[in-house]
Amino acid sequence: MADLLDRPALSDVPPSSALKVGNAAGVAHAAPTGATHVSDEAAVERLLSTRSPQRPQRTPAFYVEVDGRQLEAFEGQTILEVCRANGIEVPTLCYDPKLPGFGACRMCIVDVEGCDQPQISCSAHVEPEQVIATQTERLREIRRTNLELIFSDHNAYCLPPCQNKCPSHIDIPGFLKANAESEFRESARIFKRTIPFPSILGRVCPAPCEDHCRRDEVDEAIAIRDSHRYAGDQVLKAMWDDDLDPPVPFELQPKSGKRVAVIGSGPSGASAAYYLLVAGHDVTIFEKDPEPGGMLRYGIPQYRLPKIEVLDGEYQSITRLGGRFECGKMLGRDFTVADLKGQGYDAVVVAIGCYDTNDLGIPGEDAEGVIDGLDYLHTAALGLTYPDHAGSRVVVVGGGYTSMDCARTSVRQGAKEVTLVYRRDMKDMPAADEVHEMIEEGARAIFQAGPTRVIVDAQNRVTGLEFIRMQLGAPDASGRRRPEPAPGTEFIIECDRILKAIGQGPDMTWASVGADGVATTKNGRLKADAVTFQTGRDGVFGAGDLRNGATTVVASIADGRRCAYAVDAYLQGLDLAEIRNRQTLAEPQPEFLSIVPFTGEVKEPRLRLRALPAEERRNDYVQYEIPYSKPEVMAESTRCLQCTCEAIGFCDLRRLGIEYGTTLKSLEKEHHGGAGFRSITENRWTGANHDYVRDDSHAFILREPSRCIDCGRCANVCAEVVGAACYDFMRTGFDTLVTTALDMSLNESPCVSCGRCAETCPTGALMPKPRLLTKYEVDESRCILCGICVDACPYDALRSGFDFELAHVDRSEPMIDLIALSKLERTSEATFIRGESDWENTVAGRRYDKSRELPVLPSNLRGR
Amino acid sequence: MKHLPAPKGWAQPLLQPSTEPWAGLRAAVAAGPQGTLQRLEGAARHQPTARVTVEGWRAASNATGSERYVVGHAYEGDPAVFTSRLLLEANAQSVVEGLAIAALTIGATEAILAVRADEAAAIRAAETVIAAGLRDGHLGLNAAGSGHEITISIHPLQGSSMISEPTVLLKALDGKRGQPEQMPPYPSSIGYRGKPTVVSRVATLAAATWILAHDAAAYAEIGDPAQPGTLLVQVGGSIAQPGIIEVPTGTTLADIIAATGGVSRGATLKALLVGGPAGGFIPAQLLAATPYSDAGLATVGAHVGSGAILALDTTVAIPELAAMLARWSADEACGKTIPCRIGTRRLAEIGQRFVDGLAGPADAARLQALAADVADSALCAHERLAPTPLLTGVRYFEREFYSVAATPVAASTAKGRN
Repeated sequence: MADLLDRPALSDVPPSSALKVGNAAGVAHAAPTGATHVSDEAAVERLLSTRSPQRPQRTPAFYVEVDGRQLEAFEGQTILEVCRANGIEVPTLCYDPKLPGFGACRMCIVDVEGCDQPQISCSAHVEPEQVIATQTERLREIRRTNLELIFSDHNAYCLPPCQNKCPSHIDIPGFLKANAESEFRESARIFKRTIPFPSILGRVCPAPCEDHCRRDEVDEAIAIRDSHRYAGDQVLKAMWDDDLDPPVPFELQPKSGKRVAVIGSGPSGASAAYYLLVAGHDVTIFEKDPEPGGMLRYGIPQYRLPKIEVLDGEYQSITRLGGRFECGKMLGRDFTVADLKGQGYDAVVVAIGCYDTNDLGIPGEDAEGVIDGLDYLHTAALGLTYPDHAGSRVVVVGGGYTSMDCARTSVRQGAKEVTLVYRRDMKDMPAADEVHEMIEEGARAIFQAGPTRVIVDAQNRVTGLEFIRMQLGAPDASGRRRPEPAPGTEFIIECDRILKAIGQGPDMTWASVGADGVATTKNGRLKADAVTFQTGRDGVFGAGDLRNGATTVVASIADGRRCAYAVDAYLQGLDLAEIRNRQTLAEPQPEFLSIVPFTGEVKEPRLRLRALPAEERRNDYVQYEIPYSKPEVMAESTRCLQCTCEAIGFCDLRRLGIEYGTTLKSLEKEHHGGAGFRSITENRWTGANHDYVRDDSHAFILREPSRCIDCGRCANVCAEVVGAACYDFMRTGFDTLVTTALDMSLNESPCVSCGRCAETCPTGALMPKPRLLTKYEVDESRCILCGICVDACPYDALRSGFDFELAHVDRSEPMIDLIALSKLERTSEATFIRGESDWENTVAGRRYDKSRELPVLPSNLRGR
Repeated sequence: MKHLPAPKGWAQPLLQPSTEPWAGLRAAVAAGPQGTLQRLEGAARHQPTARVTVEGWRAASNATGSERYVVGHAYEGDPAVFTSRLLLEANAQSVVEGLAIAALTIGATEAILAVRADEAAAIRAAETVIAAGLRDGHLGLNAAGSGHEITISIHPLQGSSMISEPTVLLKALDGKRGQPEQMPPYPSSIGYRGKPTVVSRVATLAAATWILAHDAAAYAEIGDPAQPGTLLVQVGGSIAQPGIIEVPTGTTLADIIAATGGVSRGATLKALLVGGPAGGFIPAQLLAATPYSDAGLATVGAHVGSGAILALDTTVAIPELAAMLARWSADEACGKTIPCRIGTRRLAEIGQRFVDGLAGPADAARLQALAADVADSALCAHERLAPTPLLTGVRYFEREFYSVAATPVAASTAKGRN
């Protein structure tokens, strides 16, 4: 009502009175009439030059050209605002929509026709008829230089190195933290987000993660594998003892009604089936052998992976989700891919692995007594002793896990003499970590020797194997030195049996019948896309060793999981090509390896798993490692330094680093031209960098200045929006850092714990800590209704009620325009968390909780 | 620094005290703001590089709002240069009068003289002139009978060299964090306290006084026609008579050296460092052909800068000096922008690698690439000009840079020398 009355009043009064309204001093009544316009203009000008979101947008409009598009712009807008309003992405790190442009990061530069230097779009005002380009080659080059400069002084990391090195990128700090809190089911659940079988992997994984653990810089790497083994075993124990279903990593999706056939029940097939079941599809798994498990069952001996307790137990997580196994059905023999389509399957995942052992390629290989190592293990896994193995002399050729299993199983089967021969050095051996156990059990190992011919007797039976010594040449593609035969160094090992274990390849004969379109690579593997897993045939996907050649269990499982997501997207009818583009952009994981040694940590050496004595275990198939006890696993998990960045996923620097190729790409050889960059702080501008101390002292806000890029957003927001001014640019030159005065704790500063600094921080330098406090007590008898809490609260948790005119401050112009702020679309850590927690209470784009609303006067009494 | 007498025939509009104080202000009052602007533009011959450019004055006088300011800028960013101080000590009258003229022209009532706090004699000289002006009615409520109020205050400042950057100076006057702002908006629309402001060097103000007191056409005759007027130059280093000399624009560098008594006895001139710590090296053989003006220095990669000329004899190692100057620029940076905070430091590090003989084959290209990127994304002149010593050093003394870099043996000797 006041609105309706005001307007005619303004236009009715004579100009001199209007002047009174315009002039704050109210002394201009004697001024000549001509001055009216000046004063009005001054008022308008004051409104226009208010550089804040409250600025009226109803200023004259005109058109500008941005990247070839004609865009409507308003007088007083910045170039960046025009671009953002029209969906043109201009990268910024220091721009906060609540504040005027600051111009510190120099990322939002744009080319304006007629200007010889790039313009800063966050503070340059747009002018009519401007022709603007936001993505020229030169601009991208300057932005890349700026990013590289930031990274050269960014002594921090995104993913912890263990997670980065894991083929499946398990959240290792996450499950170790749960372990340390004795939340073992939660730990297993976290693990199952990326790998469904914590117990299996806890026994057979080569644990590439442990090689890169940063705890190594303090004392010794964490026993990551043994820790998740314990958590997984607790889940299995609860399942066997109390029939408790294993935890499911994600919410089970409603049934989609789609049917998927997974061929092969090995690690990749089982993993694909698991995640497809979670996604709500109906899955049938076909297996050629009588029992599911593939290589896990028939390739890995009992003493490393107990079949009933662990393998069957873990595979129950598939059957308990509704997955069906159809064993004894072999692709190509019993059915074809085309048959499955005919049976109503919407998609087929082929994951039949590698079962063709490579030949030695030497004379006499067809002799009696030359045995395929996988066949040997397969027989052993069925509980059968290979005929005449006891008492024989055995030579195993190869250096992988299969060769190790062959040698150690031979010992257990009573072979008189077991010799393992590998052509490279021990340090280049894939299964090097088991060698000492094998030798303890009584086998011997010979390195740097390759077979040249099989020596046979008249009946074509093996009597020995001739070797030649290898010398190490130049490094090959795998980074290992290539073995080269040294002439004249031949020697013979007398033996009765030769076990071949020099790697396997896939059997692709199935592709010739009823599988038109499926192609083979020149290595004899299945041709399938690395991101979408599509083969040449629609609806047929390939994963695991069949696609990659023989790899580790963990890599196969990772492949199976990613394949499951691709199949899910396919079944949802999504455009896989588009996903592929997005993934290729997002996939590179910046390899942030900190070079800071953790000298402050207390030394706590790793708890090693104890093992049965070698004399006992060499005769036994019982699992020989003695698992952790509960206090042991908790102690071991507590050793984790939790070196993960909390801002991962929200970090603007990381996003831009990926977009501009200044992260992982800078470590690639063609990028750095042979300079050999190893970590993200190494690029063209590598030099001195800072190592700041983390500030954990404040209850709500975590400060990690090493991640700070000095954009100044926190300082500006704190000073100009909150009014506390806790932060500012301190020191000068290269050592400038946005921090508190004298680097003191936020507790000593005027901090009001509002969290706005953490909300605006583009990286992880300022992070909200998890809050332990759930409720505040307000003493209403002491409240002066100043309203500062309402203004300062970033989460809109407090609102003004009807008593508001009692306040001692003028509330007509709030310090903070909450309405305007809430309309700003910006996903940050804080808004993300908020969005997750109360997503249902959204009204007109604003989130609020009705129960928090204070009572207001009835509408008929308002405005009086 | 000593005031060196100029050779016969060189005009001295700045350092020669006016025989008739307040004549310029009276002329400005008589001509009115528009007339004053026209006369100043006549003296500048409408050249954009002229010493007295009046674009900012005109823009400020046309700006909306009634609150405006004039800031007289006597804060030297180069810690070794004292031209503004000498000007104030020798001829505060012209500077103060120039402030009053500027205030009158743009319609400001308040003018501020920003001086280094330790320049006591200069402050005292300006205070004396202001007191006399107030006493005689040239300043104050009805300044020189114009009907306008003009108050001139002196604001002593002390701090980083970045304060000499105009937008930083305005913030420092306002007691805010000393960091530059993006231009545009120029101070003539948003300046001191957010109001339209004219920021003029004191030499410009003194020149304005001379133009109004004398003749615009006479001023336009001085020096280089493209940039009429004179410049205060502080000559030092291996020079027989180091000091400050007033030089008509366009005078060749060789003439300036000759006017200051030439090179020190026994020394052989190798190069000049022109423009202060962010200035450029100019080899001795180019001095006779290089005029001291914006355009003339730009052709050889240097700039007028702080007005310093440092004569370097053959004992000076250019790479070491260039790396040291780059490091100085890096350390003096305010830390606001990334190319300045990290980029200038990286430039200094690359320079130091040349000095230490540790520079790799890629470092020469890196230096050029980084210098170009830093200059192109620069916020203020500090970072834009910071690469100049290294760039001109590599340009003219390439062999000196690479002779150290090429042989690993030289690395040890270079280190030993430090």
